Amino acid sequence: MTGRPRWRLARRPVVGPRQQVQALALALVGAALVSALLLRVANADPVAGFVALYQGSFGSWPVAVESLVKAIPLILTGLGTTVAFRGRVWNIGQEGQLYAGAITAYWAYVTFPSLPRLPLILLILTFAMVGGALWGLVAGIIRVKAHVDEIITTIMLNYIVVYILSLLLSGVWRDPTSYYQQSPTVGASAQFPALIDGTRLHIGFAVGLIAAIAIYVLIEKTPLGYEIRALGLNPTAAGFQGIHVARTVLVLMLVSGSLAGLAGAGELFGNHYRLKAGISLGFGYTGIIIAMLAGLEPLAIVPAAIFFGGLVNGSYMLQIATGVPAALVSAIQAITLLFLLGGRAAVSYQIRIVRDG
Amino acid sequence: MGESLLQAAVVINVLATMVRTSTPLLFGAIGEVVTERSGVMNMGLEGTMLTAAFVGFLVAERSHSLLLAVVTACLAGGLFSLILAFMAITLDVDQIITGLAMNLLASGGTLFWFRIAYTQTTSQETPLVALLKPWPIPLLSEIPYLGPILFSHNALTYLAFLLVPVIWFGLYRTKRGLQIRSLGEDPRAADMGGINVRRLRYLAVVFGGMMAGLGGAFVSVGSVERFFPDMTAGRGWLAIVIVIAGNWKPGRILLATLLFAFLDAFQLQVQGVGVQIPYQILLALPYVLAIVVLIAGRARSIAPESLGLPYLRE
Amino acid sequence: MTSSHGPVDSSDGRDLVIETRELTKRFPGVVAADRVSFSVRQGEIHCLLGENGAGKTTLAECLYGFYKPDSGEILYRGRRVALASPRDAIRLGIGMVHQHFVLIRPFTVIENVLLRAQTPGITLDMRRVEKDLESLCRVYGTSLDLRAQIWQLSVGEQQWVEILNAIHGGARLLILDEPTSVLTPQETEGLFQVLRRMRQSGLSIVFITHKLREVLELSDRVTVLRRGRVVDTVSTSAVTKEDLARMMVGRDVVFQVQPGEAAPGRPVLEVRDLRAFDDRGHQALQGISLSLRQNEILGVAGVSGNGQRELFETLIGIRKPSEGEVLLNGEDVTRASPRRIRQRGLAHIPADRMAQGLVLDFSVAQNLILGRQRERMYRRGPFLDQKRIEGFAKEMITAFEILTPSSRQRTRFLSGGNLQKVILARELSRKIDCLVASQPTRGLDIGVMEYVHRRLLEKRDEGVGILLISEDLEEVLALSNRVAVMFKGKIAGLFESKDIQPQEIGLLMAGMGEKVT
Repeated sequence: MTGRPRWRLARRPVVGPRQQVQALALALVGAALVSALLLRVANADPVAGFVALYQGSFGSWPVAVESLVKAIPLILTGLGTTVAFRGRVWNIGQEGQLYAGAITAYWAYVTFPSLPRLPLILLILTFAMVGGALWGLVAGIIRVKAHVDEIITTIMLNYIVVYILSLLLSGVWRDPTSYYQQSPTVGASAQFPALIDGTRLHIGFAVGLIAAIAIYVLIEKTPLGYEIRALGLNPTAAGFQGIHVARTVLVLMLVSGSLAGLAGAGELFGNHYRLKAGISLGFGYTGIIIAMLAGLEPLAIVPAAIFFGGLVNGSYMLQIATGVPAALVSAIQAITLLFLLGGRAAVSYQIRIVRDG
Repeated sequence: MGESLLQAAVVINVLATMVRTSTPLLFGAIGEVVTERSGVMNMGLEGTMLTAAFVGFLVAERSHSLLLAVVTACLAGGLFSLILAFMAITLDVDQIITGLAMNLLASGGTLFWFRIAYTQTTSQETPLVALLKPWPIPLLSEIPYLGPILFSHNALTYLAFLLVPVIWFGLYRTKRGLQIRSLGEDPRAADMGGINVRRLRYLAVVFGGMMAGLGGAFVSVGSVERFFPDMTAGRGWLAIVIVIAGNWKPGRILLATLLFAFLDAFQLQVQGVGVQIPYQILLALPYVLAIVVLIAGRARSIAPESLGLPYLRE
Repeated sequence: MTSSHGPVDSSDGRDLVIETRELTKRFPGVVAADRVSFSVRQGEIHCLLGENGAGKTTLAECLYGFYKPDSGEILYRGRRVALASPRDAIRLGIGMVHQHFVLIRPFTVIENVLLRAQTPGITLDMRRVEKDLESLCRVYGTSLDLRAQIWQLSVGEQQWVEILNAIHGGARLLILDEPTSVLTPQETEGLFQVLRRMRQSGLSIVFITHKLREVLELSDRVTVLRRGRVVDTVSTSAVTKEDLARMMVGRDVVFQVQPGEAAPGRPVLEVRDLRAFDDRGHQALQGISLSLRQNEILGVAGVSGNGQRELFETLIGIRKPSEGEVLLNGEDVTRASPRRIRQRGLAHIPADRMAQGLVLDFSVAQNLILGRQRERMYRRGPFLDQKRIEGFAKEMITAFEILTPSSRQRTRFLSGGNLQKVILARELSRKIDCLVASQPTRGLDIGVMEYVHRRLLEKRDEGVGILLISEDLEEVLALSNRVAVMFKGKIAGLFESKDIQPQEIGLLMAGMGEKVT
C-alpha cells in the first residue's frame, strides 16, 4: 500500500470547554449577521436596529427591570428542559405543563380565595408545581408503560391542554364582563408582590433564581442528580449498575413539569393577573432554545434567560423605533439555535493528515 | 341529533369534507414516509408546511397566479428542508432538536415576513387571494353520492391521492425505492453494497420537504383566502403521527389519514348542527386520537431500524 | 492428496485459487494475523480451524478486501492483487458469508439480491432475479421461499440467502465464517450437502470453524491457526481429531493453577436448571446448573455465542430467566433487580467495559462509585459527600495502581487497562461474597492481564467465589479451580483442575466428546 498522505476530516476526540465557547461565539456572531441582514430586508438600518434593541432591553433602568420580568418564565422553562434533557428525557411539553400549572394554580386560588396572602401564594405555587408535574407525568407514564417516545406525546399534550384551558375559560372560569376568553382579574391578595417596590419585578424572579440554584445542587451534588447524569450519558451502563431507569424517567418528568408549572403561575399571578390563553408566548419552546444555549447547565440558564428576556423586550422598542416587526426576534432566536447546533458540530471536527497504509 | 346527522346530504358533506381535509395530511405523510424510510426524521415538518403556506400565499397575492404559487410553495418546502438535510446528514447534528428549531424559525420567520410585506394592515385587512377552485371531473362528478365525495375537489386534492399509489410504486417497485428503504433499515449494509448513503438521504429529505410544501400550499391557497400566523395548526405533527400509525406503508397511511380527516370533518358537522358538545373537546380529539394511536400501535410498530440514527462511516 | 507440512510449495501454483504469503494484520494492541501463509486449491474445501482470537476472521476479511493487510501478499490465481474494498473482491469472484449476516431483515430474499445486483433500468426486474435464484436453488438441491422476508426465514435459510447472494454475484471462491454456529444439526447436514455439490461444480470453498467434527467431515485440507499464526496445513485424511485438538489448543498451558490457601468452602452462588431466551427469542440457556463456592474460581470456558452473554446478564439481574433458580447465599435472587443483587453481595465485571461498565464522561472518582451513589458512606445528608468520594478515589488509585493524572480526570482519556482497573477497584473494594467476571482481560495487554489475574486470585483467597466467564481458554485454565465448558446453552463438562486435559476441553468446546460431571 502506498504511503500517500491524505486530508481527512476526523472527529476531534476531545470537545473541551474551549470548543464549546467557540461554538457559542460562532452562534452569536452568526445570529448577529443574520439579524443585520433581516433588518436590511425590512428596510431598516442595522445599526439603528441594534441600538433600538439595546435601548429597549437594557438601555435604562426601567427597561432592564422589564427585561428581567420577561426573563422569569424563561428561567423556569429553561430549567425544566435542562433537568429532563440531562437525563436524556426529551420533554418538549414545557408549553403544556406551563398551562397545566396555571390551571391548577388558578383552581387553588378560586377554591381558597380568602386565605391570607402568604399562605395563599404558597398554596398557589404548590398547586402550580403539582399541575405541571402531573401533566408531565402523563407523558412519562406513557413512555415507561407503553414505550412510546415522549417527544410526540408531549407535543400532542401541548395542544390538548390549550383546549382544556379554553373549555374552562369559556365556562366556569369565564369573566362575564369581558369580551375575550379570560378569567376575571385575581384579587390583590393573590397578586404576586414585587421584589422591588414600584416595579413589575415580582417574586417569580426570586423563585426562578432559587430554582436555578436548587436544580444545580440537585444535578451536581445529590445521588439522584448523579443518577440523572449517568442515565443521560450512558443509559446501558446506568442500567447495568443498578440505576432504576423507569423510575428516574418519571421523576424527571415530574420535576421538569413542576418547573414549567411555576412559570405558568408566575405569568398568571405576577404578570397578567388573570388566566387566559395569552399567558405564554411560546415560553415552553423558547425554554428549549435557552437550555441548549446554556449547554444544559442550570446556572447558565439565568444569564441566557435574561439575555432572551432582553431580546423580547427590546423587540418592542425595535418595532416602535424602526418599524421592524417584533417577530424578527423569534426568528433570530431559532436561527441562533441552528447556528449553535451547527457550530457545535463544526468544532467537533478537525482536519487531519492521515497516511494510508 | 341522530337522524339529522344521518341524512344522506349530511353524510355526503362529511365525507366530501373528509377527502378535502385529507389533502395536507396526505401530502405531509407521503413526503415524510419517504424521508423516514431513508432513516431521517423530519421533526420540522410543521415548520416546513407553514413556510410553504406563507410563500404560497405571498406569491399568489403578488402574482395572482395560483399555479406559480403552488410551484413556489413546493420549492420553498424543499429548500427549507435542506436545513434539516444539511444539519442531520452532513453535520450529524441531532435530528430532533434541529427539527424543533426549524419549527420555531418558521413560526417567527413567517410572521416577520408577513408583517413587513403587509405593513399597513391589521388582521381584518389582510389581503385576500383567490382560492384554488375545485375542478369537478366531467361525468364522474355527477355520479350520485360518489361524485361530490370523490370527484369535485381541487387539483391539489387529486394530486395528493394520486401520489399514494405512485409513491407506493416508487418505494416498492423501483431500484431507487429499494435503495432508499435499505438506508432506513441498515445503512451499513447498504453502504457495503455500494450505495451513496448521504446523497440518497438528501434526496429523500428534500422530496419530503417538497411534499410538505404542497401540503402547505393547500392549507393557504387551497383552503382559505388569507394567511394567518401558525395556520398549519399541528397538521405537520399529525402527518408524523400518521406515518407511525400507518406503519410506514403508503396504503395504511392513507387509511390513517382518512381516519383523522374524518374526525375533523365529523366535528365540523357536529358543531354546525349545534350539538351540545363543547367545541374544544372536538378540536382536541385529533391530538388525543394521535396519542391513542401511538400507544395502540406500539406492539406492531415496525419502524425503519435506523430511523433517527446518524450514519457515521468510520 | 499429498499432505503438506510447512510452507506451501508453489509447484501447484496454477492450481491455486488464492494464496497468501506472510500476510500480517495488526490492530491497536494485538497482531491479529501474524505472517500467515496458506493457500486454497481449485475445487477444494479448505477449513480454517482455530479458537476465538486465533485470527481466522481477520484473515478472511483480508481475503475479502474488507481489511488491508499491513504486510504480505495475496495472490489470486497466481497474480498479486490489492483489494481496496469488498467490491474488488466481488469483481474477482470472491464471495463471503459473514458470521453476522449483512442482510436487510425486513426485505425479501429477492429484494436483498436485487439490492446488490447491478441490473439496468429504473424498475426492479423481480421476475428475472426470481428465475435466476430458482434455478440456482434447483442446481444445489435446496428450496427457499424467495418471497419471504428475511426475518421470517430460519437462520439456516438466511444463511443460504447470503450464499445465494454471493453466487448470484459471480463468486467462484466462497468464504464462510463459522457458518454452523447458528445452525441445527440437520441444517448443518443440509449445508454440507450443498457445499459438496458446489465443490463438484468447480467452486472453491474456505470454511472457517472451531468445530473439529466439521473439519473432518467436510474438508479436503485444513489450516490450523493459533494466536494469529499458522500452526500447520494438513490434508484432512491424514489427521485425527486428537491431532487437530492438540494443534488448536496447544500443548503448553501457561501456568499451573495455584491452589488456594483454604479449601473451597460453602456454596455462595447456586444456579439450578437456568433457562433464558436471547434477544431474538431463541433459547440461549437450556438448563444451566452449577454451584460456586467460597475460595474458588470456577471458570466457564467456551466459544462465544454459546450462551455466555445471556448467562452473565441473567446472573446480574439484567435479563430475566424463563425457568430455573439462582440462589445467592441461599437467598433466591432469580428475578431480583440488579440493584438488589449487588446489595446482596454479588459484584460483576462486564464484558464491554466502555458501554456497560463505565460512564466515560464521568471522572475516575465518579465512576468508582457508580452503583454506590446512594450508600450512606458517600453521602452527607441528602448530598454526595465529595470529600469522602475523593478520598476513596485516591485510595483506590493507589491501591489499584490506576494511571491517571487525578481523580477528576474524565475516564474517556484513560487507556483500556486503566479503565479495567477502575472497574476492578470499584467491584473488588466492596464487601462481596461472589464476583461474576465476563471477559475480564479482553483487549488488554499482557501487563494489565497479569495484574487482573493477580487481583482475582487475591480475592479468591479472601473467601470470595469467582465465576470467570472467558473465551480465552488459557486464562480459564490458568486461574480456575474447576472448569466448566459451555456449549449451546448447556454445561457440556465440568472438571477439577487436576483432571484438566486440554484436548478434552477442546473437544467439548467444539461440541464433541462425552459429558463428564
